[in-house]
Amino acid sequence: MLTLIIEKEIRDLVSTARFAVTFGICSLLILLTFYVGARTYALQTEQYEAARKEQLRQLEGVTDWSSVRSARVFLPPQPLAALVTGISNDIGRNAEVRGRGEANPQDSRYAEDPIYAVFRFLDLDFLFQILLSLFAILFGYDAVCGEKERGTLRLTFAQAVPRSTYILGKLVGSFVALGIPLIVPLLIGCAILPMLGVPLSAEEWLRLAFIVASGLLFFGVFLNCSILVSALTHRSSNAFLAMLVVWIMAIIVVPRTAVVIAGRAVDVPTVDELASKKSRYSAQLFAEDRMAMGKFVPSNPTGPQVMQEFNKFMSKIADERQKKMDEFSSRLNEERVNMQRIQEDLAFGIARISPVASLSLGLADLANSGLDLKEEFQSSIQRYQRSYGEFMVKKTGMNPGGGMIMRITDDSDREKPKPIDPSELPVFVFQPETLSASLASALPDLGLLAALATVLFLAATMAFLRYDVR
Amino acid sequence: MITNMIGVIIRKELRAALVSPKFVASFGVCALLMLLSTFVGIREFQASREQYEAAQRLNEQEMREQTAWGRLGTRVFRAPDPLQIFASGLQNDIGRWSSVDAFNPVKLKNSVYSDDPVFAVFRFIDLAFIVQIVLTLMALVYTYDAVNGERESGTLQLTFANPVPRHVYILGKAVGAWLALIVPLFVPLLMSLGLLSVFDILLSAEHWLRIAIMMGASLALVSVFIMSGVLVSALTSRSSVSFLVCLVGWVVTALLIPRAGMMTAGYLVAVPTAAETDSRLDGFSKERWNVHMKELGERWRARNEQLTGKTEEERRAEREAKEWDWMEEDDRSRKQVQRDIDEYATRLREDVRNRKLEQERLGFTLARFSPVAAFQLALMNLAGTDMGMKARFEDALTEYRKTFNTYRDAKVKESGTFGGIRISFDSQRGMKIEQGREETLDLAEMPRFSDPRVPLRDAFSAALVDIGLLVGAALLACAAAVAAFLRYDVR
Repeated sequence: MLTLIIEKEIRDLVSTARFAVTFGICSLLILLTFYVGARTYALQTEQYEAARKEQLRQLEGVTDWSSVRSARVFLPPQPLAALVTGISNDIGRNAEVRGRGEANPQDSRYAEDPIYAVFRFLDLDFLFQILLSLFAILFGYDAVCGEKERGTLRLTFAQAVPRSTYILGKLVGSFVALGIPLIVPLLIGCAILPMLGVPLSAEEWLRLAFIVASGLLFFGVFLNCSILVSALTHRSSNAFLAMLVVWIMAIIVVPRTAVVIAGRAVDVPTVDELASKKSRYSAQLFAEDRMAMGKFVPSNPTGPQVMQEFNKFMSKIADERQKKMDEFSSRLNEERVNMQRIQEDLAFGIARISPVASLSLGLADLANSGLDLKEEFQSSIQRYQRSYGEFMVKKTGMNPGGGMIMRITDDSDREKPKPIDPSELPVFVFQPETLSASLASALPDLGLLAALATVLFLAATMAFLRYDVR
Repeated sequence: MITNMIGVIIRKELRAALVSPKFVASFGVCALLMLLSTFVGIREFQASREQYEAAQRLNEQEMREQTAWGRLGTRVFRAPDPLQIFASGLQNDIGRWSSVDAFNPVKLKNSVYSDDPVFAVFRFIDLAFIVQIVLTLMALVYTYDAVNGERESGTLQLTFANPVPRHVYILGKAVGAWLALIVPLFVPLLMSLGLLSVFDILLSAEHWLRIAIMMGASLALVSVFIMSGVLVSALTSRSSVSFLVCLVGWVVTALLIPRAGMMTAGYLVAVPTAAETDSRLDGFSKERWNVHMKELGERWRARNEQLTGKTEEERRAEREAKEWDWMEEDDRSRKQVQRDIDEYATRLREDVRNRKLEQERLGFTLARFSPVAAFQLALMNLAGTDMGMKARFEDALTEYRKTFNTYRDAKVKESGTFGGIRISFDSQRGMKIEQGREETLDLAEMPRFSDPRVPLRDAFSAALVDIGLLVGAALLACAAAVAAFLRYDVR
C-alpha cells in the first residue's frame, strides 16, 4: 500500500504543469549557477595569474635584493568558493609581506569591485536557500489540506488506509518526485565544471557531493515543514500564507537578527583601537631605538666594513623591537580573536534556529569559503613571512622589514651589478582546510538539518493522525 | 456615475481585502520587518558612529604624540550617514579609512565586512531589502487572483450581469488592491520613522527630503508588483497558474536579472584587479626611486668633487654654507619623484575607473530590466551609498592629501628640520648619524577633511531615471491589465 501511495503521489506531482514550469526554472537556474561559478573561477584565475606575473615583472632588472622591500602574496581562487561564495569576496585577497611585522589581507573583491557587491553573486547557497525552499513550499503546502479541499482525502480514507502509511507515502512520494529530478541538473552542473576548465581534485569532488547532498537535505526540511503545516491547516491558502511567513522568518529575519544581537551583546575591540595601540607602541619602541642608534660605535670608524656592521646593528635592534612588537600585537590580536569567537558562537548559535543558517554555514565549510578562510589565509601569510624573512637574511644579511627604510648612496665606481633572479623568491603556498577538518565543522550543521527533517517528519505524522479528513 | 461605480468597486475590494487572512499575514509580516529593519539599521548606525568617533579620537591622540613634522601623517575615516539605516548599499563593503601622508597614495581600507566577516555571512537587514524582497512578494501574493479568483468563485460573472464597464471594474480592482496594501503600510512606516526620534538620530531637512523620495520610490516599486499581479491575473483564467507565473516572475526579476546583469557586464568588460594595479604602481614607484637615488648619488659625487683640493676646514665651512641649499635641492628632487608617482597613480586609477564605469554602465543597463534593480540603484543614489561612493571619497582624500602635504611641507620648512635620521658615511671621516630635532607639534592649524556629500539635486538627478522607470513600469502594467481585461472571458 505504501508503494501504491508513493507511486500515486509521484504521478500526481510530476504530471502537473506546475511541476514542469517550476522544475524547468529550477534546472535552468541550477545550470546557470554552475556556469556562472565556472566563469567566475576562470576570471579569478586569470586575474590571479596576471597579478602574480606583474609582481615578478617588477623585480626584473633589480640588481640588489636589498632594494626588494616587500613581496605581495595572493589568495589563489578556490574552485568551490566560486560555487559557494561564503565570505570569500568579503575578505582581503592579497597581502604585502615585508619579512617582519603584521601582514594583513587587503583588497576584498567587493571593496575593489563594488559592482558585484550591489546585487551579490549567484551561487549554490543562494539558490538552495531561496529557490529550493520555495520549490518545496510550492509543492508541499497543499499536500494534505489541498486533498481535503478537493474531497479526495475523504475518498481515500473510505478505504482501509492506515493514516501513518498515507502520510509516510505522501512525504516519501513528494521527496522522490521533486528531489530526484533536482539531482539531474545538479549532476549535469557538476559534470560541466571540468568542461568549462574548472579542475577539481578527488577531495573537491567529494566536497561537491556533500554540498549537493546538503542542498537536498535542506530541501527535505522545507518539504517536511510544508507538509506539516498542510497537516495542521484545513485550507490550502492558509497553509501557503503560513509557509510564506515561515520562509521569510527563516531566510531573512532569524539569521540576520542573530548576527545583530550577537554584535550588540559581545563587545569586540575594533580594528581601529588595536591599530592605534600598536601604532603608539611602535612609535615608542622606535623612539627608544633612535636613542640606541645614536650610540652606535663601529669597531673601525673609517674601515670599509662599517656599513655592514651598521646594517647588522640595525637588524639586531629591529629584531628586538619586532619581538616586543610581536608579543604586544599577538596579545591584542588574541583578545580580539577570542571575543570574535564568542561573538561568532553566539551569532551562529542563535542563527541556527533557522535551517537556512545551518545550510549556509555547512555549505561554506564544505566549500572552504567560511569564516575559517580568513584565518587560513592569515596563517599562510605568516608562514610565508617567516620564510621570506629568512630568505632575505640569506641574501642580504638582514631582514628588510620593520618599517625603517635605509637608502645607501654609493659614490664609488664599481662594476655594473648583475640583476637578481626573481624566481629564487620563496613561493607562497596557501594551505586550505583539509577535508576532514571541513567535515568536522560542517557535520554539526548537516546533523541539525537531518535532525530537523526527522522531527518535522514525525510532527507531520503526528498531526495527520489527528487530522479531520472530512 | 462612473466615479461612483469606481468608488463602490474600490470600497468592496478594500473590505474584502481587509478581512482576509492574507491581509492579516502580509500586513503583520511587513509591519514587523519594517520596524525590525529600521531598529537594526539604527543600532548599526549608532555602532558605526561610535566606532568612527573612537577612531577619530585615537587618531587625534596619536597625532598629538608625534614629534617631527617630516613624519607627520594622519588617518582619515569615512563618517557614517544616517541614511544608511534605510539603504546601506555599499556602506559595509567599501573601506572605512585611508592613511594620508607624503609617501603613499590614498586608498580606502578595512571594510566593515572584511574586518568582521561574521557580519558578512548573513549581511545586514535594511528597509531597501525588505521592500525589494518581502513587499514585492507580498504584493504578488495579494493580487495574483484579483481577477481570475473572482472568476473561479463565480462572482465575476455575477458582477458583469450588471452594466459595469470593464475598464471601470479593472481600474477599481487595481486601485482597491493598491490602497489595501499601501495605506496600511503607512502605519509601520510612520512608526519606523518615529523610531529615529526615539533613538535620537538627528536628521537635517535634506535628510527628510531624501527619505521622502526614498519612500516614494518604494511605493513605486510596490505599485509595479501590484499592477503586475493584477495584469497576470487578467491574463490567466486559473489562479493556480497566475500564482505560478507571478512566483516565477518574482524570482526572475527580484533575484536573477540584477545578478545576471552585473555578472554579464563583469565578463564582458575586463577590469584589472587592485592587486594588478598596485603591482604596476609599485613597479613604477621602485623604478622611479631607483633613478632618483642614482641621481642623488651623482649629485653628491659632483658636490664632493667641488670640494677636492681644499683643506678640511674649508670643506666643512663650505658644506655648512651650502647644506640648506643642497637639502632643498634634494627635497625638490624627492618631491618631483613623489609627484611623478602620484601622477602615474592618478593615470592608472583613471584608466581603471574608466573601465569600471564602462562595466557599470553595461551592468546597470542590463540589471534595470528588473524594477527591483532600478529601485535598489535609486535608493543607493539617494542615500549616498551608491557605486560612486568609493571614487568620491578617494578623490576627496586625494585633494585633502595635497592640502595636508602642503601644510606639512610648510611646517617642515618653518621648523628647519625634517625630523628624520641622516646617516652619512665618508671613507675619510667615517660614519655620522644625525638625529633630527624632535619637538611637540602644534596641530591647531592642520587642515581637516570634510566628507564629500552629493548635493540633493545631483542625487535626485541620478535617481530620477530609476524612479521614472518604476513609475513608467507601474503605469504600463496598469494599462496592460486594463487592456487584458477588456478581452477577458468572464464566464
